[in-house]
Formats: sequence, structure tokens, C-alpha cells
Amino acid sequence: MNNVIEAHGLTKRYKGTVAVDNIDLQIPSGRIVGLIGPNGAGKTTALKAILGLANYEGELSVLGKNPAKDRAALMEDVCFIADVAVLPRWIRVWQLIELTENIHPRFSREKCLQYLESTKVTLDQRVKQLSKGMVVQLHLAIVMAIDVKLLVLDEPTLGLDILFRKKFYTNLLNDYFDEERTIIITTHQVEEIEHILSDLIFIQDGRIALDCSMEEVQENYIELIVAPDKAAAARDLQPLYERELFGRFIFLYKNSNREQLKSLGELHTPSVADLFVATMSGGAA
Amino acid sequence: MNRLVALIKREYWENKGAFRTTPMVIGGIYILLSLMFIFTFNHFDNEFQSLKELTRFLSQTEVGLRSDIIYGVSVAVFPSLFTLVLAFVVFFYLLGSLYDDRKDRSILFWKSLPASDTLTMGSKLLSAMVVAPLIFWVIYVLTHIVIMLIFSVVVLSLGENPWTLFLSIGNPFKAWSMVLMSYLAQSIWALPLYGWLMLVSSFAPRIPLLFAVMPPVVFAVLQIWIEFLQTFTLKKNLFGVIGDWFANSPLILSADNHGNDKLEISLGVPLTETFGHEATLGNMLDRLFSTHMLIGLAVAAVFLGAALWLRRRATES
Repeated sequence: MNNVIEAHGLTKRYKGTVAVDNIDLQIPSGRIVGLIGPNGAGKTTALKAILGLANYEGELSVLGKNPAKDRAALMEDVCFIADVAVLPRWIRVWQLIELTENIHPRFSREKCLQYLESTKVTLDQRVKQLSKGMVVQLHLAIVMAIDVKLLVLDEPTLGLDILFRKKFYTNLLNDYFDEERTIIITTHQVEEIEHILSDLIFIQDGRIALDCSMEEVQENYIELIVAPDKAAAARDLQPLYERELFGRFIFLYKNSNREQLKSLGELHTPSVADLFVATMSGGAA
Repeated sequence: MNRLVALIKREYWENKGAFRTTPMVIGGIYILLSLMFIFTFNHFDNEFQSLKELTRFLSQTEVGLRSDIIYGVSVAVFPSLFTLVLAFVVFFYLLGSLYDDRKDRSILFWKSLPASDTLTMGSKLLSAMVVAPLIFWVIYVLTHIVIMLIFSVVVLSLGENPWTLFLSIGNPFKAWSMVLMSYLAQSIWALPLYGWLMLVSSFAPRIPLLFAVMPPVVFAVLQIWIEFLQTFTLKKNLFGVIGDWFANSPLILSADNHGNDKLEISLGVPLTETFGHEATLGNMLDRLFSTHMLIGLAVAAVFLGAALWLRRRATES
């Protein structure tokens, strides 16, 4: 089985509103997937279904298991951090480590302590004594010390300073990630993760607006920067999206003729953020 | 098994204050009161004169009666505060057991561990049924030993023999075992209540205490009212059922000498005639192997099953 996650017609309704609408999804192993969407698009709902935290309609298989039925067994191979720091406030750091060690068969105390060394967290502190950022650091140290096949990070770096965020993503890529593992990340700070992603999924109103690899983004999408006098010509080539910056016009195209565009101005690979904005405003997919 | 132990340890860590500190405070109060009692005598008395008189009087009472009184104090009077507070601790522990982590959203962390909801609930129920009573019991026994030592020293210093006066005839081992048995029997007897508390804890959107108390009260009041309208009588209602359940408890709850020499130690409150109320192991087992208990277990199973069902869906929204 190559696909870590396989979903067909995944749907989730809350009292009349549809949060996830008939999604088909295949995520193979060894990928780092950015799940990106505006607030309320259904990201967290979809992740909850994948993690066995919510019921759903449709077919869903995670590592060959049914998450709604086998959550406990699934959690031996899956780890997640939810969008807000959710460590129990009363617990002491050493208790948290001992507990995880006793419950999780793939937890390495050594690794966890190693990650904690670079933080200000001490073993005898209670979670409620830690600052918001330190709680996240602690949670990340625990999660990174668990050897799982699927890691789900829902806004993992919320409340962390830029230095730690950079370090965290570097660690994630260098120490943690390998061909056997799959990582799904949602975040609003797209720029920070775009260089580590291998795949991109945009989600909007409970549907998938875009699902492709980063290579495909490079191959298929192109950004053109032109001076105002060429703007009309560029607009004729059916761009997905256009914006104006410092008196120049920037257009985004999909599957266009590069030679033809090159004659009009500068070519770039669009950033994920720009692609996201273009997609959300109704073009790219 | 390892996971269950780890989860129970987690419950103990979280509730150390209620499970361990609380009985230690009670024990400390008992010891402090004993010392204050002795110092008071010392303060007003010329060299413990009246305490000496009291000991002498005690030593001259008949051995059988003395043994009864000392045993009664050890098994019923002395542990009563432990028992009462234990009941409160377990009540509020269970009421928060499936509520607190929903409120602070740490349930998301607990659910990220490979421990099933059944195992998690089991660890909480076992903590209420076994861990808390056991800790209270150990501290009751330790406190009892310390106080017996204190009074032995006092009695010795007064020139009497504590061994013949009370140590050898009070039967402390029997008292301790009876209290432990009654705690464990109560844990089983109280399962319908425990199930109800866990159910409330798993669904209450806020103030679980209110949700635990209001429905039975409203139900019972309606029951009484309808019954009264229909038949102009007051027959058995939910209040009566709960009252009987409490009166039939296997806890050692009262000691009474009924104006005669024999001290009577009772299980529960001796107001009902369904079960024998004399504090014996037989009477405890009688309760546990009764139809009442069977119905109670069925009710508990329904409540716990519903609580588990809700726990599985606690992260839906």
C-alpha cells in the first residue's frame, strides 16, 4: 500500500452546513504536504476525520486503517499537534515525558530531551508555568521524538518567534523527515514552509481547489511581470490573476507558452502565497 | 496493562491534592487534636491527675465492654471523617473526570496517544473505585497507628500498661480490614452513581454539578406530583430509591449503643430491612450478591456505555 491517506467522497456535515464536501484525496508516503486554505475552509475538519477525532461520510483509509473505528491503534503510527496548544496545564514536564514513554511504543526519551535542551523548558515545570511559545516547543519536542509514519501539524508554530520557527522547520526536514514518513502541515505562514513542501493542497469551502506537487507548480504556473504599456497584451493571454505592484503589473498564467510570455516581460515561478490568492479568487484550478 | 498503569498514574498526578493531600490533612488534624487533648489535660491538671483517674477507671471496666468500645471507635467513629471526605473526593473527581479535559481542550492531546477511550475511562473508574479508597485507607491506618502510639506513651507515663488497657483488646487488624472491605464493597455498590457521574461528566456543556443533580431532582418531584394527583398517595419514587440505596450502603456509617451496654456498629443506616445492617463481611457480600446489586450493575452499564459513546464523539465540534 503506497498511499498513506486515501479518501473517496469524504464528507462531513454539521447540522445543515457542509464543512467537507465530497473530497477525493490520495497522499503517498514520503511527502510533505501543505494543506492550505482560508479560515473555515474545512482544513481542521478534514484533519479531524483523518485522525479519528470525528465521524464522517464516505470512504477514508489512513495507513490501511479506518480512523473512526481504530483511533487508538492508528495513533501508534500517527502523531498530531492540533491548532492550539493543548497540553494539559496541570502536568509537569517530566510527567508528560514519562507518560508518553509508557503509552507510546515509539517514543524516544533521549531524542525528546535532546530537543528540549535547546529550549528554556525544565523538567520540573508545570505546563501552566510555561509561556505560550514554550508549550509549543515542548509539544513539538515530544512529537518529534515519536517515530511515526504520519505526522499532522495543524498550525504548529503559532506563537513562536521567527528564530525558533526557522529552526523547527530545518529540524523537521533534516532530522525527522525521510522516505518512510509523511507530514501534513497547515499554516497561515505559507512563505515559511513553501521551500520544504513537496505537495500542495488548497482547500476552499470544503472542496479541494488545487492538488498538485511542487514540481507541477513550477512546470505549470508562471508569473509574468510587465511594464504598464504591455499590460493590455498580457491581459489578452488569459491570465488567471493580475495585480499591480509599484506601477508594474503582475500576471499569473497556467500552462502558457513561455516564449510568448517572455517577449512581454520578466518570468518567475509564482510563490505559493500568490498562487493561493489567485486560486482563492477563483482562477487557477 | 502498562498503558493502564500509566493512565492511572496520570490520574493520580492530576488529583494528588484530592487523593493524597486531603487524607493527609485529615490524619494531621486527628494527630493534632490528640496532642491538643493531652496538652489541655496537662495544662489544667496537676500532673495528669484526672487523666490518671480516667485510665484507672477504664482499666477497671469489664474487658468485653472495653474491647467493644475500642473496636467500635477504631472501625466506625475514627474513620468516619475519612469516609465522608472520600465520598466527596470521589464524587467530584468523577464529575470532572471526562469534563475537565474537554473544557481546556487537552482532550486533543490525550486522544493523540494510542490509548483507547475504553482504556482511558477504565483508568478513571478504577482510580475512583480502588486508588482513591486505598490511599485514604492507608492514611487512616497510619494515623490510627500514630495515635495509638501517642496514647500508649501517655498511658505508660501514667504508670498503666497500654497493652492490657487497649492495644491487645481493640482488634485493630480486624477494624482495618473491615474498613478496607467496606470501602471496596461500597465502590461496587456505588457503581450506578459513579456511572451517572461519568455520564454527566462526558456530556455537560458546563457546570457538571448542576447537570448531575437537577435531572434526578426534577424527575423525582414530577414523579411525586403525578403520583399524588392520580392516587392521592405518596408511593415510592426516585428519592425513595436513592434513599434506600444510601441506607443499604455497605459502608460502616454508624455506631450506636441504644442505651444498653452493647455497641452496635452498622453498615449504612439501619432504617431499611432489605439487608442485615450489622457490620460483618457476610452482610457486605449479601449486598454485592443481591438482585438490587444486579439491577444497579445493569443501570451502571447503561450509564457507562452512554458515557463511552459520548467520549468517542467528544472531539466532534
